[in-house]
Amino acid sequence: MKQKEESVELSRRQFIKTTIAASTSFLIAGSLPSLVKKAFSETPVEEKIDDVLKRHFGNRKIETAHVDLKAPIIAENGAVVPITVVSDLPMEKDNYVKKIYIYSEGNLQPYVASAELSPANGKAELALRIKMRKTSNVRAVLETNTGKLYQGLKSVKVTIGGCGG
Amino acid sequence: MAEVGKIRIKLPQSIKKGEVIPVRALIIHPMETGLRKDKDGKPIPAYYINDVKVYYGDELITSMEWTIAVSADPFMTFYVKADKAAPLKIVYKDNKGGIFEESVQINPQ
Repeated sequence: MKQKEESVELSRRQFIKTTIAASTSFLIAGSLPSLVKKAFSETPVEEKIDDVLKRHFGNRKIETAHVDLKAPIIAENGAVVPITVVSDLPMEKDNYVKKIYIYSEGNLQPYVASAELSPANGKAELALRIKMRKTSNVRAVLETNTGKLYQGLKSVKVTIGGCGG
Repeated sequence: MAEVGKIRIKLPQSIKKGEVIPVRALIIHPMETGLRKDKDGKPIPAYYINDVKVYYGDELITSMEWTIAVSADPFMTFYVKADKAAPLKIVYKDNKGGIFEESVQINPQ
């Protein structure tokens, strides 16, 4: 008897889940016409940070080291959040930071930007102003020319979100 | 909007040969996300820079991919090892086919 109850409970939960999922997608599809549908086929409207990281790096290990992420503790205006990614890793001919990725984890699409560097930069550092929808982590991932991945995270409190809509 | 694509690049005043110098660059651009609506409720189409390339002389030294989450009027700082007298050129491209570029001369002493 108890087992039966559980399964009823479960199916109800599932029902609610599916209903919410269905109605949400209805809302999205219904309220924003062709534009969004078109965007759907190219990039997902909403993506979780874990999925983005998986898309960019697969299952490769990302070590939390060598990346100093400078960002304000509180950003009053989420539309303009200045961040600086600094690394102590070398920028030499055969040993350099090849790429810097920047993510704002609370955005519908967390991927903000990436930069491919070369030894001619002399220094693995990049500053950019980014948009943040809400309070969340900013994350920077660095990839070296030898394929090692390093990251740094910083939590930013956003008073007014900066993505509009 | 007449100013869209206007670029300002700033280098340090004096540069020693071999010195790693900061390059500050600003471009006027709305960086519309495509998620906002105008006051009549119509969606404002996405309009943003998605590609940035930096050349030092003939060499492509940095290339970037930007999304809608880079702030309006994008401002960035990156670094260059000033080991030769050559122009530094930045080329920005947006999702509507706009191409904007600007050069400054690096003259290390």
